[in-house]
Amino acid sequence: MSSDAVKKRKPKVIRNETGTPETKRGRAEGDQAVRVYNEEVELEARDPQQDYMLYKDTCAALAKLMAEIQELKAGGAKSVEIEERRTQCSVHFITLKKLNRLAHMRLKKGRDQTHEAKQRVDVLHLQLQNLLYEVMHLQKEIGKCLEFRSQHEEIELVSEEEFFQEAPAEISRPHVTRDDQHQLTLARLDWELEQRKRLAEQYKMSLARKEKIQKAIEQKREYLSSLQPGLQNIMQASLPVQEYLAIPFEHMQKQAEVSRHLPPPLYVLLVQAGAYGQACDKNLSVSISGDVDEAKALSRPPEDSQDDESDSDAEEEQQNTKRRRATVGVQLDDKRKEMLRRHPLSLCVDLKCKDGSILHLFFYYLMNLNILTVKTKVSTTTDLSGAVSAGSLLNSESLLNCLYTSDHGKETPNPANRYQFDKVGITTFADYVSDLGHPYVWMQKLGGLQFSSDSALTGSALSASHMERTMKLLRGRLQARLALHKQFSSLEHSIIPVSSECQHLFPAKVVSGLMRWTMMSYQEFTELGFVQHVLKAGLVRETDLFFMAVVERGTARLLAAVVMNPRYPEVAPLFSLSLHWKGERSGRTDDNLQAMESEVNVFRSELQGPRPGLQLLTNQIQRLCVCLDVYLETESQVCDGSEGPKEFPREKMCLRTASTKPVIRVNFSKLRFIHNK
Amino acid sequence: MGPVELLHMSVFSQSFSPCGRFLAAGNNYGEIAVFSLSAALSPDASQASQKPILNFTAHDGPVFSLLSTDTHLLSAGNGEISAWSWAELIKKSTKAAWTRKPSYETSLEIPEINAMIINPKDNSLIVGGGDNNIHIMDMETGIFKSVLKGHTDYIHCLCFKEREEEILSGGEDGAVRIWDSRTNRPVHCIEVFKYEECARPQFGKWISCLATDSDWMLCGGGPSLSLWHLRSMSPTSVFPLPGCQREAVFYQDLIMSVGEGPHVSHCLHGGTVKAQIPCTPSSLNTLALNLKNTEHRVMTVGGSSHQIDVFTNFSYRAFSLSF
Repeated sequence: MSSDAVKKRKPKVIRNETGTPETKRGRAEGDQAVRVYNEEVELEARDPQQDYMLYKDTCAALAKLMAEIQELKAGGAKSVEIEERRTQCSVHFITLKKLNRLAHMRLKKGRDQTHEAKQRVDVLHLQLQNLLYEVMHLQKEIGKCLEFRSQHEEIELVSEEEFFQEAPAEISRPHVTRDDQHQLTLARLDWELEQRKRLAEQYKMSLARKEKIQKAIEQKREYLSSLQPGLQNIMQASLPVQEYLAIPFEHMQKQAEVSRHLPPPLYVLLVQAGAYGQACDKNLSVSISGDVDEAKALSRPPEDSQDDESDSDAEEEQQNTKRRRATVGVQLDDKRKEMLRRHPLSLCVDLKCKDGSILHLFFYYLMNLNILTVKTKVSTTTDLSGAVSAGSLLNSESLLNCLYTSDHGKETPNPANRYQFDKVGITTFADYVSDLGHPYVWMQKLGGLQFSSDSALTGSALSASHMERTMKLLRGRLQARLALHKQFSSLEHSIIPVSSECQHLFPAKVVSGLMRWTMMSYQEFTELGFVQHVLKAGLVRETDLFFMAVVERGTARLLAAVVMNPRYPEVAPLFSLSLHWKGERSGRTDDNLQAMESEVNVFRSELQGPRPGLQLLTNQIQRLCVCLDVYLETESQVCDGSEGPKEFPREKMCLRTASTKPVIRVNFSKLRFIHNK
Repeated sequence: MGPVELLHMSVFSQSFSPCGRFLAAGNNYGEIAVFSLSAALSPDASQASQKPILNFTAHDGPVFSLLSTDTHLLSAGNGEISAWSWAELIKKSTKAAWTRKPSYETSLEIPEINAMIINPKDNSLIVGGGDNNIHIMDMETGIFKSVLKGHTDYIHCLCFKEREEEILSGGEDGAVRIWDSRTNRPVHCIEVFKYEECARPQFGKWISCLATDSDWMLCGGGPSLSLWHLRSMSPTSVFPLPGCQREAVFYQDLIMSVGEGPHVSHCLHGGTVKAQIPCTPSSLNTLALNLKNTEHRVMTVGGSSHQIDVFTNFSYRAFSLSF
């Protein structure tokens, strides 16, 4: 309703809708003469809620008026009332329009206010952002500053206590530095600098001193080396004196020097053999032979024989392909030669026996295969000849065969060599044995090389533990072979040499005689019919020596095949017999012959003779002859009633003839009885 | 006992234990080995059960004769007789129960003892050996009660006829003498080599094996093995065996003999050789039959080898025991 009142004051209406309320107000206040219709001002005074109620009322009134008009129009045409009502409606319409305008104005005002507020908020927001950025920036800077590592921190400084103790007062300035950390650090750095300067000075001085001393040493060395020729002269001059006094000083020294270049196994052998010779056996002497310079040349590059081999292999291969494109065979040959190379130095051990004969042993070391080999030579005072069958006795190849059981020296005892041989195509080592010497197992032990896991000893201990026994065996072997040699030459002349000490084992008169004594090969032996039982019993090996003895008396011929083990006389020879007399009988078919075999094979201990039992073979042959005598004499007794005079008259005092139970043992027990009486 | 010794071993005598489960064998080195037959014949026998359970040296010389009584094993070697209790032997104790020596006249040598038999009637041991005499020893007291002299050369074998109580002895001199054991006097003397059918002069005249079966007697050696009828004192059949026979026995209706040659000969009473069974040793010295024990009824032969062949079926060799 107030709007109505305002509306009725109507003269000039200046609409100032576009201006700001302040300016409007200003203008409104300044200009009192003109009545300005300022709706905005009015707007602030009105209450929206009231306006809303006014609107609703107006709408209701309008609706009512319309309805009345309607009624009137329907009822009759009272145009005055209608006009009245129409003007009322129009007034209502104007009211509505004003209200609408006011609503619009309110809206606009509201929008403007919001806009302003927003702007203010934006500005503040921007300020906030700026501040936040700055804060972050500052924080980063702080962080960087905090992380800054000054170089001075890398310098190790002495600890504070030490510093305060040691540094002089002007540097440490305790009154200042105790409180101020920064000053303290500076002071410490100063002190550090001082110290370092001082130490650098000292270092320079020490260097200079060292130089001086070095020079002095050089001078003295020169002086000493100039003494060397003088000493040599003195040594030369003293040689005659040494010889006179029989102290082979220089010789030993020379030997010691050369021995430094020996490979380790030979060295061990040298030392142990020398020691044994000095201590126990005056007849043993050791010496070194060979090319010392080559040995020195070998030892200069690293002593790894694998490298040597592969290097020289590579070189050789290159050379070969460059020069003449050598065949694979030649290359392989060269490789083989390289593998089987001997060390240039070798040891020579001489064993002298009482009768003047000497056994020379030459020991070689095969570098790549890491084994020792030996070659032998026997030198005797008397000339050994005339024994055809004894050919192989002192043969260098077989002299040391089977010194220990089954040590026949044909194969290398080092299992690793198998792989090396496969690489260069060597199938057996036996082919090279005659060239390079025999690699016996006892020799490896003497050199301290241990290839089997038998004992835990190696090196010198191993060598020492075997030395005495091996030397004794070697000497025994030489003596046995020499004795056999002599015996054989006598046997070949059909004389059985029975020494005086063994004469008591046999009766005074022995009629059967040895007709022939020959050597056989293993092949020939296995072909004999009457030795099969020995072969079957496994008592024969290829390394044994085989002989055939023929004993005859009248028409009777006794063939004896002898198997001699290389370790004679430790292992007795084994006899197998075959008799050709009125038919052929052998130990298998005839009990008496078997008894004869037992007589020489089983009861051999009686036939040994004086130690060391070298007479065994000849005694066995003699016993065989005696047995044949007894057998023939008693057999012919048995066969009574046959032709004519007995072929074998009874010459032995046999108390009985026996036909079934083996003759010989029975008779022999009688014979022995008689002899012992 | 090295391989050489084994190669030259000969088995001379054998004897079964009274229970029949063990075999004792003597060899030329004077050793006696006791084998367990039950172990060797059992189904799970191995190499080890063919080895002796006990092996010891009984005498200095070869053991030519072994004999078993009900409790003891008697062995003869080096001129003396030793007795070993079987019970002790089975327990592996080698202590002799007693050792006795017959009195020999000559002291020049020790004659070996070749044969021993027992006279069950008066419990005496009859011994024949190298001094050409037969000695009789009483088993209980151990005294040698009598000596039977008559042979001119050493005695090889002895045999006893139970019904008539007669001792038969065969010797190197070719004679088979029959003695009465009650009166100790000789009754007969048969010189086998004088009979043409049997004589083989190329071998000699010695008699090395004797066996009797009531009225029949087997003898052989140098002369051929022949079967004699004792009533008429004449040979009824001669066996054409090539070598010299060393031991022969009657078994049921067969005659089995061993000697030179690596075989056991089965012969019939008529004089035919039925079979020759090959064996390991090249010549045989002794044959033994284990009749006391029905479970282990075997025949064993030994000779010039260290192996003793065992026959479970008498027609072929089953396996060998070895020293």
